[in-house]
Amino acid sequence: MTTWIDAGCILIVFFALIILATSRIVGMIRIFVLQSCVLSLMPLFLHAEAVSARDVMLSLGTVSLKAALVPFVLFWAIRRISMRTEVKPLIGVGASIVCGALLIAGAFWVSLALRIPGRPVTDLGLPCALATVLLGFMIMVTRTRAVTQVIGYLVIENGIFLFAVSLFDAMPTLIEMGILLDIFVAVFIMAIVLNNINEEFEHDPGGESRAKMGETF
Amino acid sequence: MESFLQIAWPVPFGELALKIDPLSLVFLCPVIILLICAGAYGVGYMRPYWGKRPLGAHVGFYLLFALALLLIVTANNVILFLGAWETMTITTFFLIIFSDEKEAVRKAGFLYLIASHCATFCLLIMFFLMAHFAGSMDFTVMSKVGFPLELAGIIFLLALAGFGVKAGFLPLHVWLPYAHPAAPAHISALLSGVAIKMGIYGLCRVLWIVGILPAWCGYMLIIIGVICGVMGVLYALGQHELKKLLAYHSIENIGIITLGLGVGLLGRSYDQPFLAVLGFGGGLLHVINHSLFKGLLFLAAGSVISKTHSGDIDQLGGLAKTMPVTSVLFLVGALSICGLPLFNGFISEFIIFFGLFQGVLALPLLGVIFSVLGIIALALMGALAIACFTKVYGAVFSGQPRSIDSGLEYSKTVDETTSIWMLAPMIILAWLCAWIGLAPKMMSGITFLGGACLARVDLFLIDMSRIYIPLSTTIGIAFLFSGLILGLLVMRRFILGAEPQPVREAWGCGFTRVSVRAQYTASSFARSIIDLVKNILQARQYGAKAGGYFPLRARLASSVRDVSEDMMFRPLLAGLTRLSRKIDARRVLYTQMYLMYIFLFLIFLLVWKLR
Amino acid sequence: MILMILFHWFFVGLTAPFLIGVIARVKALVSGKVGPSLFQPYFDLIKLFSKQCVYSHGVTWVFRISPAVTLAAMLIVCLLVPFGSLKAPVQFSGDILLIVAVLSLSRFFMIAAALDTGFSLEGLGASREAFFACLSEVALFMCLIALTLLARRMSLSGMLGADSPLSWNLLGPALLMVVASLFIVMLAENCRIPVDDPDTHLELTMIHEVMLLEHSGVDLAYMYYAAIIKFFIFGAILVPIILPVQTIFPFINTLIFAGGMIGLAALVGLVESSMARIRLNRVRNLLLIAFALAFFGLIVTLWRGAL
Repeated sequence: MTTWIDAGCILIVFFALIILATSRIVGMIRIFVLQSCVLSLMPLFLHAEAVSARDVMLSLGTVSLKAALVPFVLFWAIRRISMRTEVKPLIGVGASIVCGALLIAGAFWVSLALRIPGRPVTDLGLPCALATVLLGFMIMVTRTRAVTQVIGYLVIENGIFLFAVSLFDAMPTLIEMGILLDIFVAVFIMAIVLNNINEEFEHDPGGESRAKMGETF
Repeated sequence: MESFLQIAWPVPFGELALKIDPLSLVFLCPVIILLICAGAYGVGYMRPYWGKRPLGAHVGFYLLFALALLLIVTANNVILFLGAWETMTITTFFLIIFSDEKEAVRKAGFLYLIASHCATFCLLIMFFLMAHFAGSMDFTVMSKVGFPLELAGIIFLLALAGFGVKAGFLPLHVWLPYAHPAAPAHISALLSGVAIKMGIYGLCRVLWIVGILPAWCGYMLIIIGVICGVMGVLYALGQHELKKLLAYHSIENIGIITLGLGVGLLGRSYDQPFLAVLGFGGGLLHVINHSLFKGLLFLAAGSVISKTHSGDIDQLGGLAKTMPVTSVLFLVGALSICGLPLFNGFISEFIIFFGLFQGVLALPLLGVIFSVLGIIALALMGALAIACFTKVYGAVFSGQPRSIDSGLEYSKTVDETTSIWMLAPMIILAWLCAWIGLAPKMMSGITFLGGACLARVDLFLIDMSRIYIPLSTTIGIAFLFSGLILGLLVMRRFILGAEPQPVREAWGCGFTRVSVRAQYTASSFARSIIDLVKNILQARQYGAKAGGYFPLRARLASSVRDVSEDMMFRPLLAGLTRLSRKIDARRVLYTQMYLMYIFLFLIFLLVWKLR
Repeated sequence: MILMILFHWFFVGLTAPFLIGVIARVKALVSGKVGPSLFQPYFDLIKLFSKQCVYSHGVTWVFRISPAVTLAAMLIVCLLVPFGSLKAPVQFSGDILLIVAVLSLSRFFMIAAALDTGFSLEGLGASREAFFACLSEVALFMCLIALTLLARRMSLSGMLGADSPLSWNLLGPALLMVVASLFIVMLAENCRIPVDDPDTHLELTMIHEVMLLEHSGVDLAYMYYAAIIKFFIFGAILVPIILPVQTIFPFINTLIFAGGMIGLAALVGLVESSMARIRLNRVRNLLLIAFALAFFGLIVTLWRGAL
C-alpha cells in the first residue's frame, strides 16, 4: 500500500511540474484536475486498512470541489472574457522546468533537516508537499496571467492539503472543510473580479487595453 | 621511484634541486612530445618568413621556453620554480607577439603578460606562506610538514587564483581566447597543450605538498570543473574563428581535468584511496591526452590557415578534397577530443566517469550530489563537444567553400602544400592519440602512479584490477568494433561488386544546383543550441532583415559575448582607470612629492618591522 | 564466447525488424486499416540490400564509411545488453559508459556524413540531431545514475540481470519516474513520433530521416538496420525494468521478455497513433521533462537511501 501512497505523492509533484511546463491555460487547468483527482484519493489510501466515513467524505468533497467545481468556474471565466490562452511566462518554459527540478531538489534537501513529530505514514509526504508548494509559488511568480495566478494558488493549496493529509492523522474534519470552502470562495471571487474587469473593458472603445485584458490582477 | 639532482647554488634560499617523481613524469611526457612536434612543425610553418623576419630571436625564445618548461616540472625548490615560471611567462609573451605588426597581436600579448603577473603575485604570497610555515624552500621538506587546516585552505585558494590564471579557469581565462589566435600555430599548440597545463601542474604540486585539505576544496574543484567545462564548450560553440574555438575548448578540457582532480581530492578527504587514485589518475591522463589531441588540432588548424589565409569557419569549406591528409588528422583530433571510443580522449573520460560513478556509490550524501553534478556536466560536455566538432569538421572540411570571393581559389588546386616538416608532427601526434586509445595500459599505468603520488597512497595496496578489467575489456571491444566496421565495409564491397558506384548530382529533396552560399553554415548549425542558452551566453544577432519582394542583400551576424570579460574585468578596469585618474588629478607636479612617498613608505616599513 | 557473440547478433538481427512491423501494424489497425505485413521491414531490408549505391558529387570517405560505423556501433552495443534470459556476452563494471560512448560515436559519424553532402536540408537535420542529443544524453545519464544507485552496481547486466535487486515494491515510485524518463528518451533517440516522424521525408520538421536523404542502396540498408537495432536495444533496456519477473524456467523468461518487447512496440504504436508530432521548439521541453523526471527519480532514490 505504501507504494501506492508514494506513487500518489510523486504524481502530485510531477503534475505540478507539468503545469509549470505547459504553455496553454486550458492545458494547465486540465492537469490541475488530474492532480486534484490523485490528491482526493490520498485519504482513502492513507487509511486503507480502515476507511472511515470521514475519509470518504473528505475524498468526495475534494474531488467534487477541486476536480469539478473550481475547473468549471475557471473555464467559465476564460470563456466569459474570451482571452487568449497562451500563458505568457516571464522565464522560458525550458528554464522553468530546470528551475522546477532544482526546486524539487531543494524541497528534499530542506526536508532532510526537518523532523516532524509523530510517525508519518510515508516519508515522502513532507518533501513532496513542500515541493508542490514551491512549484505553486514558482507558477505564481513567473506566469503573468490572472488565471495562471489562480492556478498557482490552487497548486500551493494542493501542496498544503497533501501535507495535512499525509502527516496528521487527527486533523479535524471541520478545518479541512473550512479550507476547502476558503478556496472555493477565493476562486469564486477571482472569477467575479475577472468578469468585472471584462465588463469595464467592454465599454472601452480602443482595442489596446482589451488586448491586455486579464494579464494581471 | 624518485630521482634527485642537487647542486648547491649561490642564490639565497635557492639551490639547483631537481627531482623527478611520478607527478613530474606525467607532466614531462606531454612537455617533451609537444616541444619536439611543435618545434618541427614550426620549421615548416615559418618557412614563408625565412629571410624576412629575425627568426633567430624566435628560435632563441623557443629554446628558452623549452628549458623553462622542463625546469618547472622538475624543480624541487621554490626559488627555482618561480624563476622558471617567470621565464616561461616572459618567453611565452615574446613567442605570442611574433606577428607584432598587428595591433591585435600586441594587445593579446600584453593582456597575457598582465594576467600572468597578477597571478604570480598570488603565487608569491602562497609560496612564502608555505615556506614560512615549513621553514624551508624545499618542496620535499615542505610536503613532510603537516599544515594546519585553515592555512591549508588559504594556500589552496591562493593556488587556485595564481595557477588558475595560467590554466584558464573561468572567469580568470580572459587572456586565453586572445593569445591563442594571435600566436603562430605551433606556439598556440604549445600554449594550449603545455603552457596552460603548467597551471594544472602547479595546482597538483600544491595538492601534493599540502597533504590534508579541508573537504570543501574537493567540492570547489568539482564546481570549477563543471563551470569551466560547460561554459567553455558553450562559448566554443558560439565562435566563428577556428583557433578561438579551439582555445575555448581548452577551457572545457581544463574543466574536465579539474573535475578529475576534484574527484581525487574528495576521495582523499573521505579516505577512499581507490576513488582518489581514479580521480587524480583520470585527470592526469587527460592532461596528457589533451596535450596530444589539442596540439594536433592546433597544428592542423595552422595548416588550414596557412593554406587559405582565413580562420573564419563560415567562409571555409570543402578542404577534405584539397587537403585530404590534414582532414583525416583533424578528424582524429576531433574524435579524440569528443571522448569517443578508439581514441585517447575516451580512456581518460572513461576513468573520470568511472570515478564519478564510484563516488555516487561510495561517498556520503553531499559527495553523491556533487558526483551526480559532475556526471551530468561531463555528459553534457561530451554531447556539446560532438556538436561543436561536427560543426567544425563539417564546415571546414566538408561541402564546398562558402565564400565565393575568397574561397574558390584555394579549392581548385588539389595539393597539400604542407611540407613534410608540418605533416610528420601531426601524424606522430595522431598516432599517439590512437595508441593511447587502443593500448592505454602503459600511459594509464604512469598516470595512476602519479595519481597515487597525489593521493598519498601506495598503489600496490589498492585493488587496481577494478579499473584495469573494465579498461581492458573496453579495449577489446574497441578492437572488435574496428574489425566490425572493416567487416561491414568488406561486406558492402562484396554485395556491390568491384565496379565503382555511380556518382550523381546530390538529390537533396530536389533542390539541386543551388549556390554554395546556400550551404548550412557553422553558425546556423550551432544556433539551436546557442538559442537555448542565449541568456547565459549573452548571444546577440544583428541584421537579417530582408525588405521588399526581391531583396538583393541581407546581412546576418551573430556573436557570443564572454560574460566574465564583459561584465567583470572591463568594469573593473574602467573603475581602476577612474581611480588612478583621480589620484592623478591630486598629484602635485614635484619630483619631491614622489620622493616623499618613497620616504613615507620606508618609514612605514621601519615602524612595521620594529613594532 | 565467440559463439555467444554470434548468437546474440543473430538473435537481434532476426527479431529486431519484427518490432518495427508491430508498430506499423498497430498504427494501421488504430486508424482502421489492415496495414502492411508484420514482416514488411524484412522485405524492405532485402530490397535495399539488393540495390546499388548512388553517391552524390563531392562526398568524401566520411560519407562512405558512416553507414558501416553506425551499424557496427549498434551491433557493439547489442553485446552489452542482456535479452531476457539471453545473457549479455560482454559485461563489466562501467559498461554503461561504453554504451553511451559508442552511441555517440555513431552519432558523430551520422552528423558528419550529413554535413559532408553540403546540402542545407541535411545540415538542418544534423543540427537538430546534435541539439536534441545534448538533452537526451543528459536525461539518459540521469536515468543511468538512478539505476546505478538502485542496483548498487555499474554494469547494465547487473542492473537488468536475473539477480536484479530492482524491485517495484521497494522503490516503485523512483523506478516509475526513471521508466517514464527512459521511455521519452527512447522515443527521442529513435526518432519516434512526438519528437520526429519516421515516415516523412518531405517536411521541414524532420530530424533523422533528412540526414539519410543521400544514402541509398546498401548504405541505406545499413542505416535502416542500425535504426531498427537501436530501437530493439532501448526496448531491451526498458522491458526488464518494467517487468522484473524472473522464473526458474528460461523458456518462460524468454516468453515474458518477448511479450514485453511486443507490448512496448504496440505501446509506441499507440502513442504514435494518438499523438501528433509536437512542434520542434517544444521538443526540447519534452526532453527537459524527461530530464526532470529522471532527476526526480534520482532524488527519491537518494532520499530513501539517506533515511
